[in-house]
Amino acid sequence: MRLITHNMLTCHVKNCEDPDKQFPLRFKDAKLEQIEAERNDEFLVRMLPRLDWAALLITANELNIALPEKVPAQPENDDAFLQALHTAILETHVQEGSMVCNGCGHEYKITKGIPNMLLAEHEI
Amino acid sequence: MPKFVVQFAQFHEDFRLPELDALSQLENVAISFDRSSYSPISPFLIVDIASAAAAARLVRRGILIRSIFEYWASGQTYAEVFAETEQIRDRWALYKQSSFRFIVEAFGKSLAQEEKLRIIESFSYLGFEGAIRMKGAEAEFFVCEEYGEEPGPLKRVWFGRVVGRGSRELVERFDVKKRRYLGNTTMDAELSLVMANQALARSGTLVYDPFVGTGSFLVTCAYMGACTMGSDIDGRQIRGTAGFRRNTDGIMANVAQYGVAGRVLDTAVFDVTQSPWRAGALFDAIVTDPPYGVRAGAKRLGRRAGAQAMRSLQEIDGVANHLRDDYYPPTVAYEMSDVVDDLLAFAAARLVDGGRLVYWLPTVADEYEPADVPRHPALRLVANSEQPFGKWSRRLITMEKIRQADLDETDAGPAAAVHDPAHKNFRDRYFSRFEQL
Repeated sequence: MRLITHNMLTCHVKNCEDPDKQFPLRFKDAKLEQIEAERNDEFLVRMLPRLDWAALLITANELNIALPEKVPAQPENDDAFLQALHTAILETHVQEGSMVCNGCGHEYKITKGIPNMLLAEHEI
Repeated sequence: MPKFVVQFAQFHEDFRLPELDALSQLENVAISFDRSSYSPISPFLIVDIASAAAAARLVRRGILIRSIFEYWASGQTYAEVFAETEQIRDRWALYKQSSFRFIVEAFGKSLAQEEKLRIIESFSYLGFEGAIRMKGAEAEFFVCEEYGEEPGPLKRVWFGRVVGRGSRELVERFDVKKRRYLGNTTMDAELSLVMANQALARSGTLVYDPFVGTGSFLVTCAYMGACTMGSDIDGRQIRGTAGFRRNTDGIMANVAQYGVAGRVLDTAVFDVTQSPWRAGALFDAIVTDPPYGVRAGAKRLGRRAGAQAMRSLQEIDGVANHLRDDYYPPTVAYEMSDVVDDLLAFAAARLVDGGRLVYWLPTVADEYEPADVPRHPALRLVANSEQPFGKWSRRLITMEKIRQADLDETDAGPAAAVHDPAHKNFRDRYFSRFEQL
């Protein structure tokens, strides 16, 4: 699972609704893999406003991934920024491990890069 | 404005104009034509486009378009064609020294090689002096005799200069018979590709399929340049352990086959009615074939009414049931009209403005009425194309997000129904052969 996707997922267990706690999900025992991918600046720039940058920084910090603190005023002209963003959100894969909700403690397992976000009976 | 003629493929006729409109928007090429002159039984449509370059760009991704040619002449007889060609002598001069070739076809009839040569000969008055090249000719001229689908007299002869071609070769490239991983719900290649055009999938966009199954739309939309994500309640479909051509890499086998690993971003296992997506407009398009409950059981998380007390919290060997690796949360049937209403509400909340929802709606042919197509105040209906299967059809519905909406917007869903829509209880009706229930 790439970090771009992780940045869009929250805990959705019934009654787990503290926005500060349920997002972003915290990684546990994460096994990372860097896989090169062709950079597409058009995509990166379009996605920027849809990302939660504060959350992305928290996650990058957790995983020791380099990411600039601030989004530049004109990201489309900032090659270094776009390269760092591309590497962080599109080339960094969490292949195994789990994502834990800081609010309710639910653990979402990741297997072969695919997260399982099914909820148990009592959680819906 | 100069006139061009679109040469459509003669398949999926109901999908052709919507695809043309989508291409016009995708490529930002303005087109105008007389809608009343369009006929589903003819491959040809005259359109006004600013230039040959724009015309070529318009059709390049077209799956139901074979080519586009600059209009030179047409008529019921060759005499009429020659007379009209006389009017544009100044145009012939442009190609006098160009290498050229003639392509002669007939729609609705077979032409023998000698007939084709005779036809080409009849155009020799054009006085082209350049070399004849079967490959790489600078100018390609196209003559087509249109007879139509029923045997009968010649309807029209078309003559022009080819300026662009569509992408029909992709239909073969994506043929499911050659696909590394597929299941019994895998969508055929031609329509999967058309859906990518309907969704305006292109570089810079993010497309999501909430019933991803074996991933047909993830690969076709990614092929067209979009980044894609998919989810499904059934992880086995994604991983490749279900389906009749199994593959331990699942969807990723197809991703590798078509070389789109950099753009098929992720798949995940979850129930879209209990979706973990963060709030807000995340996607440029949602492209999907929801389960109708026929070839794939339509289900959602939930406990059947009257079922035993919740098993999830009980412990087995000291571990709560729901934490065990072999725990599968219980599911209940997910009725078709609910699936569709939920899909529209989800799309209204999660699409960016101008984003597209493209999905299949199954319907009972005799009972379908346009009012059956579900509505939502934040979504505008763009296209509705039918693929008939006799007693039932499915319709490819394209909708566009027109303004932001909250997920729980209460005026969602169909307007006060005069009758039950033809897709209600579709599964039960399909298996009882559409008898009245």
